[in-house]
Amino acid sequence: MTLLRNGVWTDNDAWTPVESHDENESLKTDLQAHHLLNIDQFQSLSLEEKTRAPGVMLNPEDDVQVLKEHLSTLQLIAINFPKYTDGRGYSQARILRTQLNFPGEIRAIGDVRPDQILFMMRAGITSFQFETQPNEQVVQQILTRFKANYQPSYSLPIAG
Amino acid sequence: MYQYTEYDREFLHARVDEFRDQTDRYIAGQIDDDEYKQLRLRNGLYLQTHAYMLRVAIPYGLLSSVQMRKLGHVARVYDKGYGHMTTRQNIQYNWPQLEQVPDLLSELADVDMHAIQTSGNCIRNTTTDPLAGAIEDEIEDPRPWCELIRQWSTLHPEFNWLPRKFKIAVTGALSDRAAVQVHDIGLRLKKNNSGDTGFEVFVGGGLGRTPYIGQVINSFLPSQHLLTYLAAILRVYNLEGRRDNLYKARIKILVNAMGIDRFRERVEDEWQHASNSDDTFTEDEIESLKKQFPLAPHLGGELQQPDQVFSNPLFNQWYLANTKAHRDSGRRIVYISLKAPGTPAGDITAEQMEAVADLADEFSLGEIRSTHEQNLVLAHVPADQLFSLWSALKQHKLATPNLGKLTDMIVCPGLDYCSLANAGTLAIYDQIYQRFDNLDYLHELGDISIKISGCMNACGHHHIGDIGILGVDKGGVEWYQLTIGGHSGNSAAIGKRLGKAIAKSEVADAIERLLSAYIANRNDNESFHEAVNRLGTEPFKERVYDTAA
Repeated sequence: MTLLRNGVWTDNDAWTPVESHDENESLKTDLQAHHLLNIDQFQSLSLEEKTRAPGVMLNPEDDVQVLKEHLSTLQLIAINFPKYTDGRGYSQARILRTQLNFPGEIRAIGDVRPDQILFMMRAGITSFQFETQPNEQVVQQILTRFKANYQPSYSLPIAG
Repeated sequence: MYQYTEYDREFLHARVDEFRDQTDRYIAGQIDDDEYKQLRLRNGLYLQTHAYMLRVAIPYGLLSSVQMRKLGHVARVYDKGYGHMTTRQNIQYNWPQLEQVPDLLSELADVDMHAIQTSGNCIRNTTTDPLAGAIEDEIEDPRPWCELIRQWSTLHPEFNWLPRKFKIAVTGALSDRAAVQVHDIGLRLKKNNSGDTGFEVFVGGGLGRTPYIGQVINSFLPSQHLLTYLAAILRVYNLEGRRDNLYKARIKILVNAMGIDRFRERVEDEWQHASNSDDTFTEDEIESLKKQFPLAPHLGGELQQPDQVFSNPLFNQWYLANTKAHRDSGRRIVYISLKAPGTPAGDITAEQMEAVADLADEFSLGEIRSTHEQNLVLAHVPADQLFSLWSALKQHKLATPNLGKLTDMIVCPGLDYCSLANAGTLAIYDQIYQRFDNLDYLHELGDISIKISGCMNACGHHHIGDIGILGVDKGGVEWYQLTIGGHSGNSAAIGKRLGKAIAKSEVADAIERLLSAYIANRNDNESFHEAVNRLGTEPFKERVYDTAA
């Protein structure tokens, strides 16, 4: 299993980014359950369609604020880490949680590495889509090793 | 100094356990080279030209004698018997074995020390005035604030993968000894008209390839908002700093590309959101930190006169050069120079570390500070015990009376150790040292700083030396570029380039000509950088390159 969600390993679900499509192809199909629109795709929707979009995917350069008016209807926001050393996703997650008060699932996708998920969790990310199956015991240790932290207003991980 | 709690200790040991596990998984092939590099860097471990190098944090340059003894032990057991003080108040070991590093870190954790975030693209060790709490010209002791920043920045979940490294310096004194204007963020404690404490906040200073003096982003930040404001700056940098080019990734490039006014707007915008949520601290927390940095017990007594002459001329010379007035007239601040003749600048042996620890216990309340000039300080020495201390320091070759003088150079490790370097620095240091190893001449010359970097990354801070020396590689040959007029105090300035690079064998000659131009042209008590400011580079250039003829 490569999906860790709220501290529990689960079978992969159907959430998946929508491939960029031809000019005139209908976006309606993209509004099906478990489709993750990128920000350009999301922005091209009408206001009404936006309320039916199930999920979006943020790339590092995307401005989180464009989602501000639509957070109550989005079920899942995926934050893409094209490379694990690019830390913009941590700030995106933090803004979603503390400025925009997004209560739903935030998922890390892309180059997600076990040794970083503690930081990700504390930044407000709740599920992790790994590219390959990590050692579950190693992940368990990573999530339970630190009993407390120096930034008390940031959450402790939900250990599985 | 700050006393670790059970929580701090548990945290440190968890960090060591984590690194041990990461190292085991790396050796077992479960973590690739690239990822392990990132993980080890955040634990202070570099791979250098010959071996691994471990940079151990000395938070804001403050050490207990127990910790210093442990550093000596580490030098003896895990290294070749010495360590190297850095320009950011830390200590480096050049020869640890990878497999032993987790044990080494575990031993450090036993005395509340670590190497967390001493490298990597994250918030580095916070530096400060090495005379904090001991000097008279202080508005407030900066160390409780440094400790607050240390805790806040340690494994901060949002700021572990910044575009590039990030350095914060704090000063609480009128006279800036922490070089706050050449840091990513510089903080200067001040009081407003109502007597409240706050910070003047500088942003975007730095050396390296593109040196900048920091600009004021906030002229008075009330102290209770310190962490939220730092977080807002860091967030804007994290989101908008360049990640496409390693050499344009520091915050100074972002600030200068946006302009300070627009950058300030962005930060204030983020800050409004942040000020009521994360990264806050309570009045109680900072007050309890302040209690951990009490003043030295008052001794009082007759004030030592600045022109006091002692009958022993060698002691007198050391007293004048290496000691400074303490806020308590019964004490003196003592500098220990790590620039003795014939030893690499900033190096200290295991025996010397142990000696310093013992002397700190005997003469200075068991406390030692490191300076960004790569020296040490015993901050609270009773004035009537100076002679005993000096006699003991002399036995350990720790009484070189050259503090602030020409031979008190800042030198990066250079080509001999560092894989980034273009040219050697240690040989240049030796060459200059040997040429000017005449104490009478040095004292007549007065305070002057030479700073040497082996490449444009500027770890030797050459941009802010009265005389800066930058090693460059030209077709496999080492050459040295001189700058003059740099300064890091209250009126920080970047040195001006003098002219074409100098051949390796001729550096000391060039320095000698520079100094003769200074001596010939200086007004009474005019420092080197003041003389350069007044005269421009031309008279110096003429003398060095002999173009006047």
